[in-house]
Amino acid sequence: MPIDAKTTLAEIDPAFAWQKWSPADQEPWDEQRVRLLYRRGAFGAGPKEIARGLKEGPEQCIATLLGEESQSTELARQVEVFEKESGAIAAAVRAGGDIDRLAAWWLHRMLHSPQPTLEKMTLFWHGHFATGADKVVDSELMYEQNRWLRQHALGDFRAMVHGISKDAAMLLYLDSATNRKAHPNENYARELMELFCLGEGNYTEKDVQELARCFTGWEIRRKLFRFNEYQHDEGVKTLLGRSEIESGESAIDVVLAQEAMPYFVVGKLVKFFVMDEPQASRQFLEPLVKTFIASDYSIRHVVHQILLSNLMLSLWSVGRKVRSPVEYALEIVRSMEATANLDRLAKMLRPLGQALFYPPNVKGWDGGRAWINSSTLIGRSNFVVDLLGDTNTRFAGGSLENWIRAQGIDSKEAWMEWLTKSLVAVPIPDIERDALQKGMAGRTNANGWTAPLISLSQNPRIHLS
Amino acid sequence: MERRTFTLGAAAAATGLALDIPVPGGWMKALASELTVARGDGRPNRILVVVQLSGGNDGLNTVVPYRDERYVQARPKLKINASEVIPFQNDLGFHPSLRSLESQWEAGRFSVVQGVGYASPNRSHFESMDIWHSCHRKQDRTQSGWIGRYLSGCSDSEQKDAPGVHVGAEPLPLALVERGVQVPSLASIEQMRLKSKSKVMQMEEDGTASAIGSAEKSSVGEGDSDLLGFVETSTSAALEASLRLEKALSVPDETGDFPSSGLGEKLKVVSRLILAGLGTQVYYVTLDGFDTHAKQAAVHASLLRQWSDAVSAFCKRMQQAGLQENVLVVTFSEFGRRVSENASQGTDHGAAAPMFLAGPKFPAPLVGEHPSLNSLDDGDLKYHIDYRDVYAAVIEGWLGAASLKVLDGDYREGAEKLRLFG
Repeated sequence: MPIDAKTTLAEIDPAFAWQKWSPADQEPWDEQRVRLLYRRGAFGAGPKEIARGLKEGPEQCIATLLGEESQSTELARQVEVFEKESGAIAAAVRAGGDIDRLAAWWLHRMLHSPQPTLEKMTLFWHGHFATGADKVVDSELMYEQNRWLRQHALGDFRAMVHGISKDAAMLLYLDSATNRKAHPNENYARELMELFCLGEGNYTEKDVQELARCFTGWEIRRKLFRFNEYQHDEGVKTLLGRSEIESGESAIDVVLAQEAMPYFVVGKLVKFFVMDEPQASRQFLEPLVKTFIASDYSIRHVVHQILLSNLMLSLWSVGRKVRSPVEYALEIVRSMEATANLDRLAKMLRPLGQALFYPPNVKGWDGGRAWINSSTLIGRSNFVVDLLGDTNTRFAGGSLENWIRAQGIDSKEAWMEWLTKSLVAVPIPDIERDALQKGMAGRTNANGWTAPLISLSQNPRIHLS
Repeated sequence: MERRTFTLGAAAAATGLALDIPVPGGWMKALASELTVARGDGRPNRILVVVQLSGGNDGLNTVVPYRDERYVQARPKLKINASEVIPFQNDLGFHPSLRSLESQWEAGRFSVVQGVGYASPNRSHFESMDIWHSCHRKQDRTQSGWIGRYLSGCSDSEQKDAPGVHVGAEPLPLALVERGVQVPSLASIEQMRLKSKSKVMQMEEDGTASAIGSAEKSSVGEGDSDLLGFVETSTSAALEASLRLEKALSVPDETGDFPSSGLGEKLKVVSRLILAGLGTQVYYVTLDGFDTHAKQAAVHASLLRQWSDAVSAFCKRMQQAGLQENVLVVTFSEFGRRVSENASQGTDHGAAAPMFLAGPKFPAPLVGEHPSLNSLDDGDLKYHIDYRDVYAAVIEGWLGAASLKVLDGDYREGAEKLRLFG
């Protein structure tokens, strides 16, 4: 039974919402659903990926996104080729030490990785364990953290928290690199509970002070984590009602064992993949929390279930998220099989409000409505103008016009139709469709092909996913 | 919500813009006539500029009790010495970085409200900032802010400019949010210029803005979310602000002597908009970086200098323009910092802290007492002035409006006692 688009979240049965979706007569596996999965689970798709996804069916399509064809030698080969290419770019970029170029390296991964969901999840964790290059400064540490996040992005959440707590960039960012016995620094302790694991309201000020004591002596020396036992507070600490805490590591385990933890993490994943608002209740998250606990806190299991769920694929989720700047930019690029100057692309994301490696603060990007304001909206339209106006931008290696013709599109009207279908998630009413068509009538020169996309970039609907 | 689609002919061509987007309401028509109206007509008599110091400003090292033994003991490395402070009354002195504000202080145009905060302080940046913005605790939080609610109460159908403007690249602060109130965020003036101008030359021109009625109801997320309605109103506000700014700023740049810092640039934009005669009543800017957990001294000194230099340059520009009695600058931070410094030569999150007022002539340079270092709350300074008392004073005494609904409570008695304005 489909979930009607107008149903409120409170009216949806949580068990049904997170059950596996299956195609039916009323709800066929179709292009719209392939596009939805590529918007949410990746960074958009070109015509070839859409065609492949249709052929694959829902389960295989999600397996492809997640890079789960473990038995497939073809995927392994693709990954190998891609990693070689990305590694070569990384080597050149790291030698220069320029963080803007590091962002360009990551954009290349987002655009071309054969495992796109892995990149999407790396972006998720970059916002979750937010660390800003403005304070860390050292691009090598930012690169190492990014690589580490990717390695664990679909793995065990607990291992992730333990690892990030000793990550050099993180500890420098949150000032815990010099955490002394006499005066513990509370910054990391607070954010570990408030932003990484539990959420506000699930601990007290006393817990923050006690946890900070547990982390005394955790230092960064020569870019590496080191435990300085002389600066560790050996006194008795009481954290979240537990009193026998031997080390910083056991303190992290106490935090991770809190009942609030799985709800906090799963809730954030649901917000990231399904809907910006409203916030899901604990009851609504229950089936996913069960999966999370039963799988030993495997992020992959939860993400897989979310993508393949009734809530996602019934299309209830369509239009319930505001595209992030990275999604907006890359979905446009990928839909037209475009290649662009990536250094420039990385810089173009800045006025849109999402510079990679520069989250606004330790809370990361708020997302949802916070992406949208007058400057970022003007910026989103200007982005399209700049992208299309850049002579470095190619479409499957050629000009935009040639690419359009290769798709079998022979009129401006058909081109507008194609753009609308590919880039606009929410149906455009006929009356507005007419206006869009009318706005580009009578254009015959080469620039005429860019006008419909610029026109669309000023239509509010393009900002929804 | 009723939605209409407009195609714009002459008006858009006049500004070099092509707009064939659907917009709600009738602003586009109003805009067409607005473009011919001379600038300078709409400026409100009383303007409020809010400066937010994000991260938690160390109030104790801004307004310094430098002779207090307990201060000297609590801050072995971070204390500001008697030889460094800019001393004023009551054994207090300003941080040396406030030098540029001295002339404003001497002219009675700079005032310090001491010990501002609220009961059971929250030491999370985000929660405490939300409390200052919304005037609500988390459990009964509404998704609106005090300035947003103020602006919604004074909507004027004749007013063509946005009632409030946020200058900055960060997301719109919650303080400015309220249903039905559109406050644009301007990262910079340059970033508000639409580049798609070449398009208009190719537009078919019918000479007039013609409206095609459409009453399509959004079917997305009805009931628990209306993201589509939100992006639609935001888009029309953005395009409107872009056109209006282009017009307002088409005059030569006469901006005065602003420092080239981040805050200096933002207050320069605010100054330009005010001088261009925009009808906007509230401007909002932020300066981030005050979360000084480690190696505080140099960072804090530089941030305070940036703040005081920018605010004093702004005040001077307003004075040159004869607007000194019309524009008030209010500075706040989400909390102060712990009295005792930590081991990283920094300070952790604290509670009560001073607020600062600048611009018009104030009856008292110093409002309230400096919080006692004798009586702390879990190592933090205690507040004795509720931040909503200050808001109420600004709303009633400066903006001349009723504060009850805006603040969702009666803070008038506390506000009157403060006597912030003449």
